[in-house]
Amino acid sequence: MIELGPELARADAMLDIKRYDQACGLLSRLVAAQPESARAWCLLARAHLGAGRHQQAVEAASRAVTLDPSDEWPHRLASNALLHTDNYPEALRAGMEARRLAPGHWQAHICVAQAALGARRLDIATAAAAQARTLAPNEPDVHFLSGKVSLAAGDLERARSHQERALALDPAHSGAMNELGRIRLRRHDTRGAIRHFIRAARLSPAETVYSRNIDVVILRTVSRMIYVFTLAALLLIWIPVVAHLGRFPVAIGLTVLGAIAVASFAWLVLRLPPEARLLVRRTLRSRRAAAALAVAVGGVAVAFAAVALVPAAELPQILPVAVIATMGARLGAFAILRGAAGKR
Amino acid sequence: MEPDLTVLASLRKAVEAMPDDVPLRVHLATLLLRAGLRDEAIRHVGAVLQRDPGNAEALALLQQPPGRRAEATGPPDPVVPREAPPAAPPPGAAAPPGAPGPPGRAGSREGSAGREDRPDRPEAEFDWPQAENELRDVLPPMFVDGAGTDADSAAAEAVDSYDAERSTLKLADVAGMNQVKERLEAAFLAPMRNPELRKLYGKNLRGGLLLYGPPGCGKTFIARAVAGELGARFMAVSFADIIDMFVGQSERNIHELFEIARRNAPCVLFLDEVDAIGQKRSQLRNTPMRSAVNQLLLELDDVDSGNEGVFLLAATNHPWDVDSALRRPGRFDRTLLVLPPDGTAREAVFRYHLRERPVAGVNLNRLAKLTDGYSGADIAHICETASERALMDSIHRGEARMIGQPDLEAAIAEIKPSLGAWFDTARNVALFANEGGAYDDLAAYLKKRRLI
Repeated sequence: MIELGPELARADAMLDIKRYDQACGLLSRLVAAQPESARAWCLLARAHLGAGRHQQAVEAASRAVTLDPSDEWPHRLASNALLHTDNYPEALRAGMEARRLAPGHWQAHICVAQAALGARRLDIATAAAAQARTLAPNEPDVHFLSGKVSLAAGDLERARSHQERALALDPAHSGAMNELGRIRLRRHDTRGAIRHFIRAARLSPAETVYSRNIDVVILRTVSRMIYVFTLAALLLIWIPVVAHLGRFPVAIGLTVLGAIAVASFAWLVLRLPPEARLLVRRTLRSRRAAAALAVAVGGVAVAFAAVALVPAAELPQILPVAVIATMGARLGAFAILRGAAGKR
Repeated sequence: MEPDLTVLASLRKAVEAMPDDVPLRVHLATLLLRAGLRDEAIRHVGAVLQRDPGNAEALALLQQPPGRRAEATGPPDPVVPREAPPAAPPPGAAAPPGAPGPPGRAGSREGSAGREDRPDRPEAEFDWPQAENELRDVLPPMFVDGAGTDADSAAAEAVDSYDAERSTLKLADVAGMNQVKERLEAAFLAPMRNPELRKLYGKNLRGGLLLYGPPGCGKTFIARAVAGELGARFMAVSFADIIDMFVGQSERNIHELFEIARRNAPCVLFLDEVDAIGQKRSQLRNTPMRSAVNQLLLELDDVDSGNEGVFLLAATNHPWDVDSALRRPGRFDRTLLVLPPDGTAREAVFRYHLRERPVAGVNLNRLAKLTDGYSGADIAHICETASERALMDSIHRGEARMIGQPDLEAAIAEIKPSLGAWFDTARNVALFANEGGAYDDLAAYLKKRRLI
């Protein structure tokens, strides 16, 4: 017969040092030997959650709930695990049960707010976050989640103030720093967003989501530059038709347009921190970004060539082709970049 | 009592995550047998015997009659060929020393149909040694490059965590990885071996060496080789040997460990997964674990003050999680990046993992080229998968065959390198947390491979 107490404490220590697989091995043996221990199932759920095995975490937490339905912890774990499996209604239900059992625990309110956020029940999320703030005004995670709720509700100023409060309570809270980046992004401040994502990555370098956020912002910026470039090209190809100009002004126009696009991108990149510049270089060297740029520049060049090289009399016939080529280039580049951003 | 399906699922996941945990596999196999899932149980027993050929519990499980569960729950199905009890380790499992690994020609003599006709025929009657002798004469050479398996003598020895053992490994036994060896020589071994010069140049022996790099790339192997080079005893300790949740026990364990090292001097004390033993205290919730880190710091400083002959080595996959106090001068102040094996090393790893398997016509050079970016553990997995493939093919054809180049190449196509997640994190660290150039070598490697 295994003595459960010390073994559970050992498993707890393993979870503390993030040895999720080893903890899982130990706890699997424990629950096999003593399947009636709700605490062992709870710890197993935590171990699975830590290891990213969310479905197993749901199963383990459900077992713990069955064994001890009056304890709030199994419900909270179940809610958390369900959230990761995108089962938001069930996550919300489990979170609410945890809150019913332990109305004085701020963690239970946070759990409800998180699940409600996933389920897009902003009213419930806002109320739960407010209650958590009342119960634990000095807990950074409470303000962090309150900020997320405010951001989801579109209240950028309140979201910023919550995240800044979280950072004041815990200056190493990388999640709050990341959220500040997201708020900047919503305000179309690309450079500010990247700076915050970089700070978040510095605080938690092992967390890859922050650098992925930077990658996505860079891809979006490239996509936006291509959009502006093709839009300007679309307008330029009308000039020969409207103004009856020759090839030379069109070629000059294309050159100037290309130069402006490159210069504005370079200007943006040069103002970024060195780490972000490295990421930009890496992104631009990626096959997808190169392909998108090639499609955009190629399509626009074909359109300009068509307009510049045909005799003036044939311009009305060739112009629709040029317009389609430009728009096709834009859409093609956009699809390629969206695929790349989606992959990240 | 039949085991719970959730428990079985959890155990399966745990075994998947930790394929080398022998007691866990034995436990799973026992429960599977109880649940009547004999085929799956036998597979796990096979895997256990591959890792620990003499494992008594696994051998006992093999001896269990197939109808054990049926005896408790109802009459067994009398003619189910899969239920035939294998008296020897199942194919694919490593045979005990001296016994042949391959399934021999049992299949060719009987064929699967034959076995169906006689399901209760005890396989113990099969003469394995004779089959081995028969096959030995007809076997083609194992590797087409003609090299033998002498290098395999460098196999790692089993270690009891608190036992100081004499390591016979040398750096020469570590194939390839010349850069690592050179840096090891300069940073650690040369000053150790030349006390006079060391004194002349005022170089002291304070501090230890921290090996870091992706998992499964030979950090422990290198640590053993360092011990061998120094002619020192070797003590390997992992966090599981130390952690104890009773307040004061972990600290006592750590102290005892260092005392044993001092008594066995010259001794290389190797702290495996030092990020677990010495994790950043800011990340720890448990007070006992924090106390353990403090005790470790205390012991490290003691080693400096007057314990000649205790050489400290540590390894981690996540140096960024190690408490910064542990990396201050006089403690683990020198770091060495151990990267995935280079071509020569990969060849040697293939040779090692294939040495006791029936292989023929394997082009190691080509395999090494195909596995750029794979870890040693990945290569072990490839060899395992290729063996399974040949085994299943042998079963289908009713005739034993050798593991060949196509099996290995198919396994390589199937198994992707497992280091992607580590390099994702490493990239972040090199980009955002390279304070004071601590990860310059890592950043240089990532740049070279265009990962930054």
